[in-house]
Amino acid sequence: MKKMWLGLVTVSVLLATACGGGGGGGESTSGGPSGSAGGGPVEIVFWHGNSGQAGLECTKLVKQWNAANPDIQVKPVFYGSSDRALTKVETAVASGTYPDIAYLYGSWAANIATSPALLPLNDYIQNDPTFNWDDFWPAERYAATVDGKIIGIPALVDNLAIVYNPALFDAAGIQYPTPEWTWDDFRAAAKAMTDPANQQFGWAYPADASEDTVWHWEAMLWEAGGDILNADNTQAVFNSPQGVQALTVLQDMATVDHSIYIDTTNTKIGDVFNGGKIGMLVTGPWDLQGFKNVDYGVQIMPSFDDPSNHQTISGPDNWVLFNNGPERAQAAFEFIKWYTEPDQDIQNALYTATLPIRQSELDVAGYQTFLDKYPGIQTFVENEQNALKARPVTPKYPMVSEALGQAIVSVLLGKADAQTALDQAAQAANAALAAP
Amino acid sequence: MEATGRRRAPLWRRIVGSDNVAGWSLAGPAIFMMALFSIYPVVWSVILSLERKNLLTGETQWVGWANYKALANDAIFKTALWNSAKYTALFVPISIVAGIFVAVAVNRKLRLMAFYRLAVFVTLAISTISTAIMFMWLADPDYGLINAFLHALHLPEQGFLRDTNEALYVIVAMTVWGWLGFVVIIYLAALQGIPQELIEAAQIDGASRWGTFRNVTLPLLGPATFFLVVWLTINALHLFDEIYLTTKGGPLYSTTVLVYYLFVQAFQNFAAGYGAAMAYVLFGIILVISIIEFMVGKRLVHYSA
Repeated sequence: MKKMWLGLVTVSVLLATACGGGGGGGESTSGGPSGSAGGGPVEIVFWHGNSGQAGLECTKLVKQWNAANPDIQVKPVFYGSSDRALTKVETAVASGTYPDIAYLYGSWAANIATSPALLPLNDYIQNDPTFNWDDFWPAERYAATVDGKIIGIPALVDNLAIVYNPALFDAAGIQYPTPEWTWDDFRAAAKAMTDPANQQFGWAYPADASEDTVWHWEAMLWEAGGDILNADNTQAVFNSPQGVQALTVLQDMATVDHSIYIDTTNTKIGDVFNGGKIGMLVTGPWDLQGFKNVDYGVQIMPSFDDPSNHQTISGPDNWVLFNNGPERAQAAFEFIKWYTEPDQDIQNALYTATLPIRQSELDVAGYQTFLDKYPGIQTFVENEQNALKARPVTPKYPMVSEALGQAIVSVLLGKADAQTALDQAAQAANAALAAP
Repeated sequence: MEATGRRRAPLWRRIVGSDNVAGWSLAGPAIFMMALFSIYPVVWSVILSLERKNLLTGETQWVGWANYKALANDAIFKTALWNSAKYTALFVPISIVAGIFVAVAVNRKLRLMAFYRLAVFVTLAISTISTAIMFMWLADPDYGLINAFLHALHLPEQGFLRDTNEALYVIVAMTVWGWLGFVVIIYLAALQGIPQELIEAAQIDGASRWGTFRNVTLPLLGPATFFLVVWLTINALHLFDEIYLTTKGGPLYSTTVLVYYLFVQAFQNFAAGYGAAMAYVLFGIILVISIIEFMVGKRLVHYSA
């Protein structure tokens, strides 16, 4: 008798979980309820990777919106690290239940543009007279556009500049970096500050062959006058004399002067700089908050032969919208428009030290507080004007980047000279570009 | 007299009340989950490996054996195969030898033995990310403790994870350390299961300590060793976390192992079909090695004293 009851109970529990699992599972993976057909508020799902303080700020803004807009309710979902976000979106799209908005890195723009679930924004932006698309920085607009299709709204922008430790400059008796600096000046200063006995280096370079390794060098390539790919993204052109000139700087500093701390794990540079052992970094505004022990200074990138060419590279990321029907799409667009307006973005920036994503943000009330709060950040804001070029927008870019990453690391480790390494990388990149 | 014999219960009662139903309904959910999350993907990835598929667009093209053929011409894949082989050939024997050594060392009655055992087992409790960060700093060529030590002894300093010839060995050291607690636990349990009278008999017969260990203890550790060799081999061929957290396959592919390369292809270059083909090659390798291990094990391992 007891056994029979056990059987009955388990069967009913099984049925209950099967129904619950089937019905609820689909919804919980999508992150929330779908848009209501008849009446009631439209609910949209908003995937972001903001943790800690940034996460709190993000949720605060969403609450603010939800309170003011009873008919469009936004459900924020923290998806973990942004590094893996594309995989998560990929999976969600494959399963047929996906968010309305997701934060995605700019380097994935060409990949996400191929997704049938993507919501192109050209019409939404065109039909909204108050949107003002041109208010976003040029590099942001470029990175959000794939073959004329606007695939997202800029979510974050940054760029690279020199962040230096004045104490090491003083100790070596040399002048701080100036806006007129050339790469020769940079190299000489790094050499002067290098002291092997004290494990002190002039510069540190991330050498894990990732995109982080590559984009540092790409800025130098552009400054030297070179380009990554040809105009229609079918052929590698980075193994030009300009490319060799840019990579030779790394080669000389790493293998002749030994003035670079080469971190092949790309995990330790920030700590070592903060520990006062590195003279200069080339890095972005996101690192500044971590440098609590260094009274750092910030200067724009050095130039090559053309003294006016102080370019940088900008890494804009996007809020990408997905199509869950016209009602939810319109709601998602309205929310993200509001979320990226200067008044809201400056609130975010105040706590996360991110650069203003709209040019008009420099005029809003909170901007001065933002500059005062983060020393050196103004140089990064102004440096956005030097972001004249952008990485090629092609789904093959990850492969091009991988080839370049290996080339740069092999030069840093003294395994190949600049020309040979770049020629080999060009061969690998061309093979990837030619493949279907 | 009425007919004896119990009235049979109605059919539905018999079904609901039977052992089979109770058993299956208890095991059912787990089996269902297994089928959903392991058997289905296993079958699906066979199909995937014969396609060129972009997970993002859902674009699918049947390519037959093309992915497997491309693997044969992929120089990085060959490097990854070689690195995995080298890693496994080092990791498994070193773990076994170190595990036996430490297990024997802590299988004694000494003061503070509980503390020593804890010190060994603590590697089990430490997460991979902590182990990785610790080793990255210890083995840093410029700021690491190991090189500072070598420097103090006037020995040549090493490049470690910056040196293409050394990086894989650092990974071996890191993972042997990380797995040591597990290996020691298994061996310690096996050691404590050895009947004391066998050891005593050998000693009475005049066997030396080494002789006792070599001819009594070691053969009786056979089943544990067999289990560990199979288990550690499979794990070694699955090496991923430590690579992902430290070298990302570098420098210059010197630590690119099979699963890491699979990950790069499937999730960074979006070649899901190619990645699936690689997974099946790996499956074949593990299958063959495990069969060989079982065949050898059958001949060498004694299950009773």
